[in-house]
Amino acid sequence: MILTGLILLSLALGLAAWLGFVWSVKSGQYDDPEGPKYRMLDEEEEEGLRKPGPPEPPRV
Amino acid sequence: MSRCDHCLAAFPDAEAVRERDGAAERIFCCAGCRGVWRLVREEGLGRFYDERRWEADGLPAAVRPGGAPPADLTAYRPVPAADGSVEVDVAIEGIRCASCVWLNERVLQRTPGVLAARVNYATHRARVRYLPATVALPAVLARVQAAGYLPRPWVESEQARARDEEVRDLLIRVGTAWFLASQLMIYSAALYAGYFQGMDRATRSLLEWISIALAAPVLFSAGAPFWRSALAALRHGRFNMDSLVVLGSGSALAYSAWQALRGGEVWSDTAAMIPTLVLTGRYVEARARRTASEAVARLASLRPREASLVTRGEDGVTSCRRVPVEQVRVGDRLEVAPGERIALDGRVLEGRSEADEALVTGESRPVAKFAGEPVIGGTINLAGALTVEVTRVGADTLLAGIIRAVDEAQGAKPRLQALADRAVGVFVPLVLLLGVATLAGHLWSGAPPERALLSAIAVVVIACPCALGLATPVAVLLATGLATARGLLVKGGDALEAAGRATEVVLDKTGTVTRGRPALRRLVALEGGDEAALLRLAAAVERRSEHHVGRAVVEAARALPAAVEPRVEALRVVPGRGVGALVDGAAVLVGSRAFLGEEGVPAGEAAALAAGPEGEGDTVAWLARGGRAVALLVVADPIRDEAPAALAALAALGLRVTLVSGDARATTAAVAARLGLPFEAERTPQEKRSFVAARQAAGARVLMVGDGINDAPALTQADAGVAMGRGTDVTMESADAVLVRDDLTLLPDLVQLGRRATGIIKQNVFWAFFYNVVAIPLAVAGVLHPIVGAAAMAASSAFVVTNSLRLRRTFAPRPAMAVAAGGSVGPRAVGSAP
Repeated sequence: MILTGLILLSLALGLAAWLGFVWSVKSGQYDDPEGPKYRMLDEEEEEGLRKPGPPEPPRV
Repeated sequence: MSRCDHCLAAFPDAEAVRERDGAAERIFCCAGCRGVWRLVREEGLGRFYDERRWEADGLPAAVRPGGAPPADLTAYRPVPAADGSVEVDVAIEGIRCASCVWLNERVLQRTPGVLAARVNYATHRARVRYLPATVALPAVLARVQAAGYLPRPWVESEQARARDEEVRDLLIRVGTAWFLASQLMIYSAALYAGYFQGMDRATRSLLEWISIALAAPVLFSAGAPFWRSALAALRHGRFNMDSLVVLGSGSALAYSAWQALRGGEVWSDTAAMIPTLVLTGRYVEARARRTASEAVARLASLRPREASLVTRGEDGVTSCRRVPVEQVRVGDRLEVAPGERIALDGRVLEGRSEADEALVTGESRPVAKFAGEPVIGGTINLAGALTVEVTRVGADTLLAGIIRAVDEAQGAKPRLQALADRAVGVFVPLVLLLGVATLAGHLWSGAPPERALLSAIAVVVIACPCALGLATPVAVLLATGLATARGLLVKGGDALEAAGRATEVVLDKTGTVTRGRPALRRLVALEGGDEAALLRLAAAVERRSEHHVGRAVVEAARALPAAVEPRVEALRVVPGRGVGALVDGAAVLVGSRAFLGEEGVPAGEAAALAAGPEGEGDTVAWLARGGRAVALLVVADPIRDEAPAALAALAALGLRVTLVSGDARATTAAVAARLGLPFEAERTPQEKRSFVAARQAAGARVLMVGDGINDAPALTQADAGVAMGRGTDVTMESADAVLVRDDLTLLPDLVQLGRRATGIIKQNVFWAFFYNVVAIPLAVAGVLHPIVGAAAMAASSAFVVTNSLRLRRTFAPRPAMAVAAGGSVGPRAVGSAP
């Protein structure tokens, strides 16, 4: 009984993962495999910009 | 002399547009560039200037910063969504690096009314979702143009769309198959443990049925294309790889179901693994092919969409209006502004200018255009305004012809049949025959029919080599990875195989064997004097020139130690002839001999000096001061430094090398003679393609190397097409391989790697069959234990993978090379996208 329960649980988890995968493909997340590696750098540095950084040099 | 802070183009200080930036001052070559800089800064996107990696200065020829976006919006196809927003695809011209993509995305995203904007790094296609109630499409496009890029409608062929769909569909199938197979492995592991440690019957039966339930969708849902293809082949009485997949995994599944009922051993993992591995190989291939098909889409978007049509009203007054090119008819008159792309093929009626035709014809020098001269649609008008009478429209134009040729060559290129496919055609009937023989043999020897049938199925299942699905992809994956590390991009197994089988190499001249950028070869001082001073003088006059001679002179002068800038006044440019100015009060001319003649400067005895270099196809420009010719400037497109070494290595590999060029006969002959190569000059793109086709018809397997759009048809026609990394996008995408480092010595490496990879793949295919074939006698005898079957499968897969690893020893370590490569590639790789 426990065995059946565990099997069902693992199948259900697997099914959820599979549905997520199908959704991600259909929503176009695999269309541009090149971009994210650069985009990751961009986003990160933009976050950095929002944090208080060194003061801007005084304007003359 | 300064460099524009936005477009990096060099320009004379007198024309600088200045702007305060805190303590510093920025200078720009024009108000347009300043406008772009202000926009970028106002949006807080200044980081763009720190991050960008531009290898060429200036802006794309067709972009005029601050200009109005094209009025023709009919070619854009906005797709309305359910929430009232609209999505539109825009091709963005002028993107050169990852930062350009970033900038475009930010600028678009910060436009009020734009909900989302994503730019594809590979295709430069922006997908913009906006609210039409808040912002109109022209306003969105104007933002892109304001940032210094040129928006164009994204044109996608039906074919490309279908291929996109195919790749996506395959990805879902591969993902599904691997998901099911990995779940299945858990139960298989439990079952295998059960064989050794014992398992109670009820549990075993449960696990068996679960594993069968997991294997069935792999075969029937994810593997549906195999069934379709196998059935189609069967209707023609043939067998292909898909027949074997269907036969092997189908019978394994049927056998498993039967055995689960009887209480025997199940083979459902085999049934699932065969289609999964083969599907994975297919997906890798389809991805590579999609990249190639994008080439045509980009080529199509090069075509100008609009033209300025000159119309004569009833009152005899001529006026000019922008119309879509589709409305232009043969015989119409078009106005072409400097810097604009000529819309259609035609003949010049009025005006004098030069056109950059390198894109279409491969001619490295700007071509002079005056009344009566033909012009080519898609080329760029460089110097002056032209009035053109249209001679060809639509599908008849030269550019349309090239696009068609690429399309045809891509379609006609017989996809090299996978080695496995060939083996399978013989193997399948043999296995079937053996299965039938086993059935007959067991029946004849008096075995019960059920047992005889099981043995027959066992033969078919065990004979189906699971490792065959891995034999090619693993080797290809390793070989392409190895190539990438050396600066070679290879697009898949077919490309590798083709490169390995090449018997002949056809090289384009301009930009491939030569640098593609004319340089000053030497300066001949006619009346003695300081050569450096003469060069400075010429450079001062040519500073603003877009002409290739001018650029070469300015480039050469830049290498000189700094000196006081001479004062240049009254600068005038005569298109196709030369430049004149007053330098520190003296009249200075730089230009052709004819130009000096028109200005009343005699050539004198120096004419004989000029004949030598001219005979070799070099360009000779004359420098005159105060009415006397003082120097000759010899400008030529230099041969790449590494070309002789690369050619020697190719010859050592037993390859015949030919030079083919669209350039003039004399120029080509001079380069060919210096390298000791046979050559073909003055070839149009179509002629290059037919030259390659002729060599193929003569039995050669051709590896073509080129860099321009004019090489694209030949690249697709060739067995293996290789593009230079500095080449146009279209060329790189029609090619099977790209030399990222622009280093010709990578060519012999490519051939060597191709040969080795093909050899390894052949071995893999052999051993994938071998292990399974060894198990066949056991199956025929009816004594095959599932563990033996599983072991045979695992052994063949393991062998295929380890054998492929031997590819890593293809290139002996070359310490000197490694250092050089690290030096030149390193900083780029660390910094950003090229």
